[in-house]
Amino acid sequence: MKYSFYPGCSMEATAVPYLKSFEAVAHALGIELKEIPDWNCCGATVASGVIGDYPAQVMTSRNLALAEPHGADIVVPCSSCYMNLAITNRKFKEDGHFRQMADEALASVGMKYGGSLNVRQIIDVMVNDVGLDTIKSKVKKPLTGLRVAGYVGCQTPRVFPWEFDDPEQPVFFDKIIEALGATPVKFPVKARCCGSSHSVAQPEITADSCYNIITSAQDDQAHLIAAVCPMCQLNLDAYQDLVKERHKLKTSMPVLFFTQLMAIAMDLPPDAWALKHNIVSPFTALAKFGVGK
Amino acid sequence: MTGFNVSSGPLKYDTEFAREIYSLENGHHIKKCMQCGMCEVSCATRKEMDYSPRKMFLLLRTGQREEFFKSNTMWMCSTCLMCKVRCPRGVPIVDVMHDLKCYAISKGYTERAQAAFYQSFWKEIWSRGKQFEGGLMARYYLKRGWKDIRKDAFRMKDMGLTMLKHGRMPLMPPKSVKGLKDVQKLVEVAKAQLQKGADR
Ligand code: SF4
Ligand code: SF4
Repeated sequence: MKYSFYPGCSMEATAVPYLKSFEAVAHALGIELKEIPDWNCCGATVASGVIGDYPAQVMTSRNLALAEPHGADIVVPCSSCYMNLAITNRKFKEDGHFRQMADEALASVGMKYGGSLNVRQIIDVMVNDVGLDTIKSKVKKPLTGLRVAGYVGCQTPRVFPWEFDDPEQPVFFDKIIEALGATPVKFPVKARCCGSSHSVAQPEITADSCYNIITSAQDDQAHLIAAVCPMCQLNLDAYQDLVKERHKLKTSMPVLFFTQLMAIAMDLPPDAWALKHNIVSPFTALAKFGVGK
Repeated sequence: MTGFNVSSGPLKYDTEFAREIYSLENGHHIKKCMQCGMCEVSCATRKEMDYSPRKMFLLLRTGQREEFFKSNTMWMCSTCLMCKVRCPRGVPIVDVMHDLKCYAISKGYTERAQAAFYQSFWKEIWSRGKQFEGGLMARYYLKRGWKDIRKDAFRMKDMGLTMLKHGRMPLMPPKSVKGLKDVQKLVEVAKAQLQKGADR
């Protein structure tokens, strides 16, 4: 299995544990990743609000053009990056007017995108390309008894509703958790908003959203939350002190990238777990699986 | 907020303003809204907004220019896409929100913290082709000034140190994109194309 890989800005910075664990897990699953050479920012949820949708999409399309020569689908872990790349790609395929204009723009810098690739969310790749049976077969240390709240977040299931999952109550993420031997809890808020980039200008909004998510996980007796998106993980993990202070919450809730859980269950070396980067300590929750500092 | 105490005076429709909004990239979609309220009950940040998306669309259609510029609605949108998947009329509400943000910034309505955040974020992308947390925060506080720095300093310092300790806060920015000139040119060309389309 070969893919072009778009890490996005956060994986190189605040989401290093995601990058480390994903690369190790991908390798163990026989996924070959080739980082898109000289990729640029996708614009996140912000560029469109400053320069407009179309210019932001043209900027994003440079990444598609750079990836095309490799001839492999693009795998994207971050939800905002996925949203921008996938929507832009879809427009190249289905919107003739957009394509004509964007071709013209790309040509002005000597680039071209033929629209031959697919942009794939990491969960989609895990379930539909790798397959749950393969994941199960690679699990050496099943996470039996571990109750996990699978937090899918907002954009991942909603960019193209129903194409690979339910936009409001997605199930694929829970299936991955199950494949690792853990127990996915009900967690009805699994696709609600984490407060996203309000964390900078109005952190109270983020804190309130995260409070709902954390208490829902606690109500379902989860030992930890597993996340897909760098932004969600950062908000839930780094802002947890603020959440606790603001809402008089006493207990903590560890928040891991799901690839960290995969690395543990697949018994990869501790470097691949990358747990030293987690801010809320996950060690008590994971102690019975031989995970120590 | 509008209530039941409606004045008996004539309601002024500023159709000029409404037309300007319709001419934005996704503006024409507003005309499709049937005021059902689905976006209102679905919105992640409804309680932070002074007008729900539904009410905002009504305001725009009736050309309430001042109310629009006073409102925080578009700045509160967190791009969660719930409204977009639920709207029975297929209004891409979140894309309209993008336009409203752009429009407010282009008219100089940038005093909200969110507007400063958006502008700082964009400057980062523009100047290196990638996003760097450290640079973003520096630009943001430069825009917001001393009062905000003092208000947030304690919390941000604590959080920054914790992240640093866990190796999640690089102090050095990432290398700029080699094709930065291309990135910038693409944006300029695309903006010019849009402008040409709007003038036609
Ligand atoms: S859900 Fe759609 S049609 Fe209904 S009020 Fe909102 S924008 Fe209008
Ligand atoms: S995308 Fe924005 S307007 Fe729509 S439901 Fe989410 S926060 Fe509300």
